Amino acid sequence: MSEAISRRELLRRAALLGVLTPSWLASGALAGPLAPLVQGRKTKRVVLIAFAGGVRTRETLGAPEGVPNMAALAREGVTFSRLRTSNLGHFGASMSIFTGVSEPRGIRDNQRGPDPTLFEYLRKDLGFGQGDVWVTTSGGAQQTNYSYGLHADYGARYGATILDGDGIFNAKFKGLLDTFGRPKPESPERAALSERLRRGLGSGASAAERENLERVERYILDELTRGTTGISGANAGDAKALRLARNLLTIFKPRVVGVVLQNADIAHGSFNAYSEVVRRNDVALGELVAAIKEDEELRDSTAVFVLPEFGRDRDLNSRRGLDHGDGSDDLNYVAGVAWGPDFRRGHEVTEDLRTIDFTPTICSLFGAKAPMAKGAVLRGLFS
Amino acid sequence: MALHETAADARAHAAPTSAPTLRRQDLADDARPKSVAAPALPLDARRLRTLFLDLLGRPPFPAERAEWLGRGAHELCDALLGVPAFWRHWLDEQLYYFLLIDNFRPVGQGVESILTELAAGRYSVRDAVHRIALLPSFDQRNPGADTFVTVVMEQLVGMTVQLSQRELEIGKGAYDGRSGVFLGAPAANQSDVVAVAANHKVAARHFLAREYERLIDAPIERRELAQAARAYHKDPLGYLATLRGWLVSEAYTARIERGKALPNRLFVSALFVDVLDREPTAEEAETLRGALDGLGDSRPLRAVVVRMLLDSGQVELPAKASLADPTAWVAAQFERLLGRTATSDELRVFVEAFHEPACNPRTILQVLLSDPAYHRY
Repeated sequence: MSEAISRRELLRRAALLGVLTPSWLASGALAGPLAPLVQGRKTKRVVLIAFAGGVRTRETLGAPEGVPNMAALAREGVTFSRLRTSNLGHFGASMSIFTGVSEPRGIRDNQRGPDPTLFEYLRKDLGFGQGDVWVTTSGGAQQTNYSYGLHADYGARYGATILDGDGIFNAKFKGLLDTFGRPKPESPERAALSERLRRGLGSGASAAERENLERVERYILDELTRGTTGISGANAGDAKALRLARNLLTIFKPRVVGVVLQNADIAHGSFNAYSEVVRRNDVALGELVAAIKEDEELRDSTAVFVLPEFGRDRDLNSRRGLDHGDGSDDLNYVAGVAWGPDFRRGHEVTEDLRTIDFTPTICSLFGAKAPMAKGAVLRGLFS
Repeated sequence: MALHETAADARAHAAPTSAPTLRRQDLADDARPKSVAAPALPLDARRLRTLFLDLLGRPPFPAERAEWLGRGAHELCDALLGVPAFWRHWLDEQLYYFLLIDNFRPVGQGVESILTELAAGRYSVRDAVHRIALLPSFDQRNPGADTFVTVVMEQLVGMTVQLSQRELEIGKGAYDGRSGVFLGAPAANQSDVVAVAANHKVAARHFLAREYERLIDAPIERRELAQAARAYHKDPLGYLATLRGWLVSEAYTARIERGKALPNRLFVSALFVDVLDREPTAEEAETLRGALDGLGDSRPLRAVVVRMLLDSGQVELPAKASLADPTAWVAAQFERLLGRTATSDELRVFVEAFHEPACNPRTILQVLLSDPAYHRY
C-alpha cells in the first residue's frame, strides 16, 4: 500500500533542511529536485493528453495498425477499452476530463467552468508552482478556459500556464514580430529602474510571479525561433500542441503537462481527413513518447495518459463524414491508455469506467485529493 | 501625436485600415452637442476612455479627448451610437461571441452587407444576429446537424440543450429537411431553424442579458430584463435607446468604478491607438488577438507586444531633453493611459526616476502600459 507524504510533512522536512522561504514556496521550488510525492511510487511527472475533437475507438485501439504509437503505449501499459463519456460538446466533455465532473457546457461557451481542475487540485494540495503545471492546446481562445475554474477555494492562483500552439506559434504572428522587430532585451539597470517604478505604482508582482511571467515570455520568444511555427497540415494545431508539450517537458521538466487536441473534428466533413488527423496525431504522440524515453530523467518517472473526450457517430453522414450525436456506443464509449512506471504492463481493463476518472486518478498518483471530482480512481491501473 | 497631445486630428495620421474610424460626417446633425450647461455625467478621463472602448472598441484619439473631456456622457452616447464605427465594433463583439474568429472569421460581402444595413437602419440587431447565423462561416464553424442545431439553441436562445433533447432532435430533423415544430414554430430546413431561433421571444431575453453583461459586467435584474425584452421583441430597432439608457445608468457608473478586465481584442486596439496613434489594421488586430487569446494568462505576451511596439521605431517618442516640464508630461501619461490622476507620491517617484540617466520617456511608458490598471477599463 502506497503511503502519501502529506503536504504538512513535506513542509516540515523542508523547514528542517532550512530551505523553506516564502519565495521558494511560491516559486514552485517544492517540486525542485523532483521526487515522487507518494512513497513506494516512481511517478514524478504526468502527461495527460485529451485526444479530443471526437475520436472513436474504431480508429484508435480498434485498428491498432493505424495508431502504432498509441498501440505501443497500450502494450506497455494499461488499456481502458470502455470509458463511458457523454456528448456534452467538445468544450464541456474535454473540461470533464480535467475536472472529474461531467460538465454540460455550451459548445461555443467561452467561460471557465464552476469546478476546480486537476491543475488547481495539484497546485493547491501539493504546492506546485505555476511553472510546474502547463497545458498546451489546439482549439484557440476557448480552450484556455481549462487553466482553472471559478470555485472560490481554488481559481486563478492555482491555475495552469496554458499555451495554444496554433494561436501563438503561427506564421502570421511570427511575421508581425519580424515586421515590427523583436523587443530588445532590457539591461539590468533599466529592469531595476522599471521595477522601482512599478513598486511606486503599488503594482509590482511577487518575485515568483514575475519570474514565471518572464519564463513564459522567454519561452514564447525562443519557441518562435524553433520549428513549431512551420508545422502545417490537417492536424497542424494538434501537432503544435503536442510539439509544445514535448519541448516543455524536455526543457522545464514540469510536474504536469496537459494537452488538448481538437483537429479530429474535421470528421464532420470528411472521414478520410479525420482518419489522417488521427494517424498524424499518433505520429506526434510517438515523438513525444520518444522524447520521454530518450531523456534519462524523464524515462522512468513519467506517466502518460491518452483518451478522447467522446467518440463519433456509428454511421457516416451524407457528406461521408462523421458527426457526433447519434447516442451510439461509438459516441458514448472511448478507449484510453495509461503508461508509466507505476502501472501494470500489457493489461486491459474491459469493465466500464469513465473519462471523469482520470483527474482523481492523477491526483491520487501524486498524493493529492480531488474533493469536488465525481470520478473515482481507475481500477486495474496500478501494478 | 498622442504622446504630446498636440495634433489637430490624430486620425489624419492613422495608417490605412479596413476598419472605418469615426468621422464627423457620420453624426446626424441632431446628435451633435448643443448644451453648454454643466452635464449630469461629465466625461472625466476614465469615463471617456471606457465609453470609447465600449462603443468603438478603442480609446479616444487626442483630438477626440480634447473635444469631449468635461462634456456629458449623454452627448457622447448620442454622437457615437449607431455610427458605422460603432456597428463595426458591435459586429466584432458578436462574431467573437459566436467564436467566428481565426479561420472562421467571415470576410467579404456577406458580413459587410450586415454592416451596411445596420448603419442604414434597415437591419435591427436581431436581423443582424439572424444574418450572422446564416453566414457560411457559421455553418463551417458548426458543422453537422447536431453541432449546428445545438449551437443555435445555445447561442441564440440561451438554452441548455442537455435539458431539451426533444427540441434538439426536432431541430436536427429540420436541418436535414424533415418538417417539424421547432421551438413552437414550423421548421423544415436549416434556414428555418435559424429563423425560428433568432426571432424567438426567449432569444430577445438572452440577447439583452448577454449584451447587458458585456457592458455592465453584472447580470441584469429580472424585472429590467423583462421590460427591456418586451420592448425589444416588439421593436428591435429600439435597441440603441435601451443601450443608451444602460450607458448613462448608475449601474454603468458603478461598473466604471469597479473596472473590468480589458479583453485581448480591446487591448490590441487600445495599445495601437495609445502608442502608435492609429488603429491596428484588421490583420494586425486579428493576429495579435489570436496570439494573446492563446494564453490562459496573456500578461507575458502582452508585455512582449508592448515592448515590440515601443522598440519598433514607429513610436514618436519625445526626446527626454525636449520635455521642459517632466512632471506635467508624466501626469498627462497617467491621465491618458490609466484614466486617472497620478498621486503626489507617484509623481514624485516617477519624476525622480525620470531624471536618472537610465530613464527616458520609453521607460515611463513601458511601466504604465504594463501596469495592471492599464489592462482594466
